[in-house]
Amino acid sequence: MLLFNQLETYLYLAIVLFAIGLYGVLARRSLIALLISVELILNAASINFMAFNRFLAPHPAVGQIITLFIMAVAAAEAAIALSIIVALYRKLKTINIEQATELRG
Amino acid sequence: MGSCDPVLLGCLLTVFLPLSAFALIMIFTWRYHKLSMAISLVASTIPLLIAWYFFFTLDVKQPIIYNFNWLVSDQVKVPFGFLLDPTSVLMFVIVATISWLVQIYSIGYMGGDPGFGRYYADLSLFALAMLGLVISSGLLQLYIFWELVGLASYLLIGFWYEKFSASEAGKKAFVVTRFGDIGFFMGLVFLTLYFGSLDIATVNSAALTAKMPPWLITTSALLIFCGIMGKSAQFPIHVWLPDAMEGPTPVSALLHSATMVAAGVFLLTRLFPLFAASATAMSVVLVISTITLLLSSTIGMVATDIKQVWAYSTVSQLGFMAMGLSAAGLAAGTLFPGYYHLTTHAAFKALLFLCSGVFIHHFGTNDFFVMATQGGRKLLIPMATITIAALALAGIFPFAGFFSKEAILGALAHLPNKMWLVLGLFGAFLTAYYAFRVIFVMLFPKEKYDKYHLETDPHAHAPAHSHGHGPGPGFTHDDAHIHPDAKPGHEHDESGHGAGHGHDEPHGVPWVMSFPLLVLAGFTLILGFCQGSLEKYLLGESAPHHIEYGLLVSAVSCAFGGIALAWFDWGRRGAKCVGFISYVPVLENFFIQKWYMDHFWRWFLNTFIYGIFSRAFTYNDRRVVDGGVDAVAFSTVGSGRLLSFIQTAFLQYNLLFMVLVLAGVGIYLLMGR
Repeated sequence: MLLFNQLETYLYLAIVLFAIGLYGVLARRSLIALLISVELILNAASINFMAFNRFLAPHPAVGQIITLFIMAVAAAEAAIALSIIVALYRKLKTINIEQATELRG
Repeated sequence: MGSCDPVLLGCLLTVFLPLSAFALIMIFTWRYHKLSMAISLVASTIPLLIAWYFFFTLDVKQPIIYNFNWLVSDQVKVPFGFLLDPTSVLMFVIVATISWLVQIYSIGYMGGDPGFGRYYADLSLFALAMLGLVISSGLLQLYIFWELVGLASYLLIGFWYEKFSASEAGKKAFVVTRFGDIGFFMGLVFLTLYFGSLDIATVNSAALTAKMPPWLITTSALLIFCGIMGKSAQFPIHVWLPDAMEGPTPVSALLHSATMVAAGVFLLTRLFPLFAASATAMSVVLVISTITLLLSSTIGMVATDIKQVWAYSTVSQLGFMAMGLSAAGLAAGTLFPGYYHLTTHAAFKALLFLCSGVFIHHFGTNDFFVMATQGGRKLLIPMATITIAALALAGIFPFAGFFSKEAILGALAHLPNKMWLVLGLFGAFLTAYYAFRVIFVMLFPKEKYDKYHLETDPHAHAPAHSHGHGPGPGFTHDDAHIHPDAKPGHEHDESGHGAGHGHDEPHGVPWVMSFPLLVLAGFTLILGFCQGSLEKYLLGESAPHHIEYGLLVSAVSCAFGGIALAWFDWGRRGAKCVGFISYVPVLENFFIQKWYMDHFWRWFLNTFIYGIFSRAFTYNDRRVVDGGVDAVAFSTVGSGRLLSFIQTAFLQYNLLFMVLVLAGVGIYLLMGR
């Protein structure tokens, strides 16, 4: 059985990507790094969709369509997030997330 | 049935014309004085015509009833409608006539007042309420109009609201009568609960005694009598009526002597069978009305404000009517004597007030000693008519009061205990005395009180008759200031009302003011001779009228005795101009202080209402209601503050927490499988 022809391979890949992304989101303090990590998490989700679509779905196109949607949404999200980061930088002169504490209760 | 029934149409017009006049004036035309007046006059003339038409042509031996269900709840039906029977039609005529005459009179009296339009709107409101009250078919409907009458009274007493005493008097009238109305309403609740109907015809029928045990009838009757006491100013809640004289004088004539205060007595006649079914209730009525009669007559003897004299006279005459009714109820008589006195009283008391209004308008003062010295007797028409009215009030032969008083005394004479008759005669004596005290002072002014009144500051002395021995013990002006209700007569100088009137230039009596006087004087003269026909109208048959000469002689001699004493004290040349009562200074002071009733109520208010109830309610409000609200607010704020420690503003901690929780939930679900 070819390794590429199995569902599990892709799921493990997705788990690894998700874990890396989660770690990045939780551990890094730079907002740019956070954004990149979020993209990784999104990609993990996309890979899951594609894998399930390839191996299990009765209709072959649904997963691909959702993946396309995720890519578009990710692009938009990246644009918005970058603009937020720029705005934050203008205000705080830093993009370190630990400095953005104005909403502390 | 239907809209083409002329009687129903008349009733509807009677109610809705004044209502629409009130609304129209208040919303649109109150700025335009003449137009407002015209609207109001139209809306009161048509009911007048309807009233007299009904009186002369409508056969109401069998009561005409129109009922429409207004509120239906299971067993309880509350109908709205009209009830035309002799009792209501006669009152309808009285109210419509006096209301119309007063509106005419007010053209002259209120001319130039900045609130002229508002005044006519209020009069229309009063006409609506009073006419609706008179012809209503159910007690709840009557109660609603009863309260509307109270509202109109409040608005009109406080008409010159810029004057502090006037607005205070309005409030006092409203609150005090409301105090009695609580009892009235509870009586209605009792009737609804145990009798199941508030329809007047049903309540008055024999079904009542069959359905309710005697003690319940007594309770309901006494509760309803509380409302009557409030509205008709019976002891001990009569205190609002003398203060109500703060209103314009035509208002006093219309509301506070002839019609509105008579509404209480009217209700007593309206529910006469109900009251007559309970001897206990009638005895209470008799006692209270007798106390009222004596109390207010004695106060009337010492008042120096002409309106105050007539106000206390009104209170005493209302007591006299209630005496007549209760005596009739106890001795199996008819409602005729009391109701007849109501009718004649409406005519001559309205006349007294309207005449006094002419003097007040002319001289700009309420003090009849001042009026006398400034030549009050030169105004011929009002002087003549006021004398006629006073003769009627005293009960002198050809005038209306003689016949009605004689009828009431006749009813009192039927009581087994002759004490009531003696007290009634004594009341008649006092009435003649205080009425002619005013008349003789006005007719034969003396130098004595001349000097006294003109040289001293009218605001800083005790009433005139304590001249000679000075203010009695305890009567100081501090008193009057501590108790704002107990003010000496001189403070009613109608300063607010002088504004638009031009009292400085003497003018004659305009015809719009003298015309109502002449009409009312005519009624005062002829009503006495209508006794037989009125009795026939009211009761269906005229009872055989045997004259008791002993009673007649004693009544007339009481009246003449009162007049003679007044002549001795005030009228004759060289009279001392000191009331006979001043030989007993303690008693005189007691009367000047109005039997300390105002003091009593002030004390009562301070001790019980403010001291106990208000304090308890305030405590409840502060601690329980406010405290509860505050507790909710504080706990919300506190818990928010507590929870805000979670808001560290470290985004990643939040995220980590979220991930951990999700992971925990996921693991739990996996294990659960």
